[in-house]
This record gives sequence, C-alpha cells and structure tokens, in this order.
Amino acid sequence: MQADTQPLLSVRDLVIEFTTENGVVRAADGISFDVHENETLGIVGESGCGKTVTGLSILGLIPSPPGRVAGGSIRFMGRELVGLPDSEMRNIRGRDISMIFQEPMTALNPVFTVGNQMTDVLRRHRGLTRRQARDAAIEMLAKVGIPVPAKRIDEYPHQLSGGMRQRVMIAMALSCDPKLLIADEPTTALDVTTQAQVLEQIAGLQSEFKMAVVLITHDLGIVAETCRRAIVMYCGRIVENAAIERLFEAPRHPYAKGLLESIPRLRRERLDELPIIPGRVPNLLHLPPGCRFAARCPRADALCREQSPALVPAGPHGDFIACHHPHPGQQAEPAA
Amino acid sequence: MEILQYTVRKLISGIPLVLGVTLISFLLMVYFGPDKTYELLGKNPTAQEIAEVRTQLGYDQPFLVRYVDYLRELVTLEFGNSDSTGEDVASLLARTIPISLALTGPGFVLGNLLGVLLALFAAFYRSTWVDKAIMASAVVGMSISFLIVIIAFQIIFASSYGLGWFPVRGWSVHSFGDYLSYVAVPTMAMVFVALGYNTRFYRSVLVEEMTRDHVRTARAFGVPPAKLFYKNILKNSMIPIITRVVFSIPLVIISGSLLIESYFGIPGVGKITYDAIISGDQPVLKAVVGLTAILFVLAQLLTDILYRAVDPRISLK
Ligand SMILES: Nc1ncnc2c1ncn2[C@@H]1O[C@H](COP(=O)(O)OP(=O)(O)OP(=O)(O)O)[C@@H](O)[C@H]1O
Ligand code: SF4
Ligand SMILES: [Mg+2]
Repeated sequence: MQADTQPLLSVRDLVIEFTTENGVVRAADGISFDVHENETLGIVGESGCGKTVTGLSILGLIPSPPGRVAGGSIRFMGRELVGLPDSEMRNIRGRDISMIFQEPMTALNPVFTVGNQMTDVLRRHRGLTRRQARDAAIEMLAKVGIPVPAKRIDEYPHQLSGGMRQRVMIAMALSCDPKLLIADEPTTALDVTTQAQVLEQIAGLQSEFKMAVVLITHDLGIVAETCRRAIVMYCGRIVENAAIERLFEAPRHPYAKGLLESIPRLRRERLDELPIIPGRVPNLLHLPPGCRFAARCPRADALCREQSPALVPAGPHGDFIACHHPHPGQQAEPAA
Repeated sequence: MEILQYTVRKLISGIPLVLGVTLISFLLMVYFGPDKTYELLGKNPTAQEIAEVRTQLGYDQPFLVRYVDYLRELVTLEFGNSDSTGEDVASLLARTIPISLALTGPGFVLGNLLGVLLALFAAFYRSTWVDKAIMASAVVGMSISFLIVIIAFQIIFASSYGLGWFPVRGWSVHSFGDYLSYVAVPTMAMVFVALGYNTRFYRSVLVEEMTRDHVRTARAFGVPPAKLFYKNILKNSMIPIITRVVFSIPLVIISGSLLIESYFGIPGVGKITYDAIISGDQPVLKAVVGLTAILFVLAQLLTDILYRAVDPRISLK
C-alpha cells in the first residue's frame, strides 16, 4: 500500500460467505491488501483460513451456490471486478489474471489432450490460428521444462505425472502473458525435488514475463525465498501484512510470531506444514466476539476477548497489523 | 483393427451370459411353465394320444436335447411355429418388432431429451426455487403409477369424455399421419412416466460434473458457458449417460411395450409376448427370452465401445 505507485490489484474489505446447513460462514472477513506490478506477495496461514477462497474471489470463481462475495471491492488495473458481468470477467480470466490450482491431478479435463486445452486458451485470448496456437503451446511447454513437448502435447492428462501436470497448468497459465498470477499451493501435491524445480520455474518465469504473483502456501521457507511481502491469515482474517525481512526478523502479531519463532533456524528450509501452535482454531460458525486468536494468545486480555482488533497501518513502510497488543517489532528499520 | 478384435472377444465373453439366461428361463419354462398337451387333446384322451401329442410338441425328448435344440434355434433364428396361431415365429417377430420400435422410440428419445433439458435447468439454478420446483415435480411424477397415467391419458386425450383428439386403441397405420395419431398418447404416457426418473438421474450426473476441479480450471481460463457445458460437463458425463441409455433400450423395448401394447391394443412384440405368457406359447417365449439375452450382451458391447470413444483413460482390453 505504497503511495508512490498505483497498485496492480487492490482488495478492500472483502467478505466471502458460504451458506452451509448450519448457517452462513464468513470464509473471508474484511480482507484488504495490495499487489504491485512485478511483486510476489505471499499468503500464509493454516488450512481452512481462507487462502483459496481469497484467490478464487479475485477471478470471480467462488462456487455459487453455496458461496458469494458478500461485500468489499477488488480493483484490478483500476477496474472494479466485484459485480463485473461474467462475459467481461471471461476476458480477464486466463489473459490478464491466471490461476494455478492446488490439485494438479484433477485440475485438467481428463477427456481432452493437453494440447487441446492449451490451444483453446491461446486461440480465445490471443486470437491465434490452430497452427500458431499449437506452436505457441509447444514453446510454453518447453519453457516450463517438459521434455519432448511436441510429443507430450498430444497426450492426455492421465498419461502425465503430477509434476508434469502442474507444469502444464503453469504453461497454460502463463501462455497469454498475464499481469497477475495467482498460484494456490502450486507445489503442495508434489514431491520435494519436483517442488523445488516447479518453484524455480515460477520464479524464473516471473522475471521473464514481468508479472505479479500471489503465492498461496503453507510453506514459510518458500515465502522467505520468493516473496517480497507476505500476508498472514488466521480464521478468515488478515492478522499481519509485512515486508518479508520485517516479518521474519521481528513479527509483531502474536500468531505470526508464534509461527515464525517456533522455527528459529528453519527459515531457509522447507516445511510442508506450518508449525503447530497450541490450541484450536475456532469454528467459523461459532466465532468469539473479540479477537479470533484470543484463546491461543499469550498476550490476550479482557479487551482482546471483547473487541475484535481492526487491521491498521503499522509503521512507515506499508505494513499492517490487526492486534490490540502487538510486539514492538524492529527498532531501527532498514529502508525496504 | 483393435476394435474388431475387441468386439469378437466381447461377443465370445457374452456367450456364458446368454447360456445362463436361456438355461434358467428354459428350465422354468419346461418344469414350471404351461403344458400344451391337454389343450390340444379332446376329452378323455388315450395314453397313446397323449404320447403322440407330446412327441409332436417335442416334450418327450430329454431336457438336454431340447435345450440344445433351443440354442440351435437361437443361432439359426428358426424358432418354428407359434403354438397358438401356427404362424412362423421368425416372421411373427419380423412383423411385430418394427411396430414396437416405432411405438417406443419417440417416447424413449423425448423422455431422455426432455430429462436432460430439465436437469440442465435444475443443475444450473441448483438450490434456487427453479431447481426445487423441477425436482419436486419429478418426485410427484415418479410416484404416479404407469397404469394410472395410461388410463388418465386415454381418457383426457383420446376418449369422447375428454379432448378426443386421438384414437384410444389400435394400430391401423397406413400413413405418417396415422402413425402420429396412434403413437401420440402412448408417447405422452411414456414421457410422463420416465421424465421424473430421467430428470433426477441427469441432474445428479450434471451437478457432480459441474463441481469438478477441471470445470473450475476451465472457468479460470475464460471458457464460455456453451463450451464449458460441452467440453467439460457433457463429455465427462457421457459414461453414466451411455450406460443408462443403452441398458434401458432392451428394457424399454420389452417391458415398456409389454404394458403399453396391451393397454393400447397394439400388435407389437410386447403384445405377442404378453399373449404368449398367458397362453403358454413356448416357441414364442423361447424366442423372446433368448433374443433379449442376446440384446443385453450387445448392449454391453456397445457401451464398452462407446466408453472408449468418449474417455481416453479407458482402453479396449
Ligand atoms: N464450497 C464450500 N462450501 C462451504 N464452505 C466452504 C467452501 N469452500 C470453502 N469453504 C469455507 O471456507 C473456508 C476457507 O476455505 P479455503 O479453501 O479458502 O481454505 P484454505 O486456506 O485454502 O485451506 P487449505 O490450506 O486447506 O487449502 C473453509 O474453512 C470453509 O469453511
Ligand atoms: S488482539 Fe489480543 S488476543 Fe488477539 S492477537 Fe492481539 S494480543 Fe492476542
Ligand atoms: Mg486452499
């Protein structure tokens, strides 16, 4: 949220609700953040905290029913996406904003070849002929490290391994030169070596294509390596948004601190799961009136239990925090 | 070539099924079925007369011989003559099967097409009032018995108490116009009865496919709704749809026409089967039972080949 440049993506007070049998749950509640051009923003948090729904909402893909965007604004390149008609949204999807999904095994259509699915996107968004689209698709497959792409392109998804399928997804996502890539745990389902390769590829392609990336992940090591800034989510809310050095050197929100301090030496290593913090995440259907982290927070007091802390600016560098009693943070902050 | 080999292999593997079905039904027919002997004899027959008639009917042969004879009949499609009318069974079938197909075909096709259409609406507007209204009507439709529907439709559309638009019974078809007027009420009744089941089935298949990950991926890449429906939803739902449609063909021909033809007095294969059951006409029953078993094997083969055509993950092995 720097004042100097207009952000590429600007999310404000986003609320996403799902109607369930037991009532309406707010899977995302008051989410606000900015993504600047060419920047990688990490979103971390425990399972179920609302990372995927936040990513999906940017593309207008919240499954409906049972879900809906119940409030807030998502501006992309100055244009409001919330409430945009589907026909206009379709021109943005896959062209200006692309998304890679968590589940590579099921994300592709099993009854069409990789090439068929890729050329569809290229022809629709870049107006290529069948021939040109095929050449472009082969080129993209080669870029993401698929061997013998001219042969692989005619294969069906079930003939490819999970890692290969995820690479196909990446190739497809980048084929129209998007300005923003939303990568939802792109490597969670892959084995460790493949994870590293796929991540390197995304990072390499990011600088080549000059796009912004929203990287959703459980893995703090990946965040430390690839992101400039990260958001920590807890139970449908953002609790801290800070530049990566500050977040890792001196996290201010007790939840973020708990996550990071429990792995003092692991900062540069990969972790499949977030560290465990004692206590349980509250049920979205029965949220406490005050801070959602209060039951697990060592600093909680009466105020915390009564009043929910708002996400407010913290410091001069565009950080945000939602806590009544944050840790002091760094004294002498280096210029980011 | 692959497909030819596969077909041959499948046909061969269907033989045990045909043998099983025919053996069981033949057993039932021989030991528990009607005995024609006494119908053909006068009062107080002599033992010799009885023996003569039994020889004539082939009842004196051992079971195995009679069964093998039956199989030979199935292979050569020569079933002999009907016990009741004396007509050659093969030509009887050749005359009645086309009538049954012409009778049940439109209802079957319309019932499925309308079912898909309603299911699409319900699935697209799922959990809104549109969906709820469609599915509630489906349940109501499903719970009304076929007989009541037939009688009600006859009264409403065909009788002089109702609209009187169509003939109530019979099948004197000499032109396409005749055909339409005779097929109209049976078709409406068939569609009415099948629609609830079909709509529910297709809705569940479509909803399941619509919520799959690859549908979300396609939407994330800007695939427009029509293409999404065809490439992601329909093409992936084809396996359950093919299974249902193909396997209901033999059922519709036999059991659908059984009721409809007897209630509408239409001389199709259902009607002659019904009559054969009532009168214990073994040559006709043997032919119908055997051919039905073969029809199921062919349906199985057809579905397997179609599966391969719609789903690359399935191989013809
Ligand atoms: N289709 C749905 N129907 C009902 N509730 C849903 C649905 N999808 C998500 N939710 C709700 O939204 C919450 C957040 O889900 P989301 O998938 O965004 O979590 P996540 O942070 O991506 O978790 P993970 O790390 O496991 O992927 C869930 O806890 C659930 O309550
Ligand atoms: S608001 Fe209070 S309970 Fe919540 S994280 Fe901050 S200190 Fe802990
Ligand atoms: Mg997720």
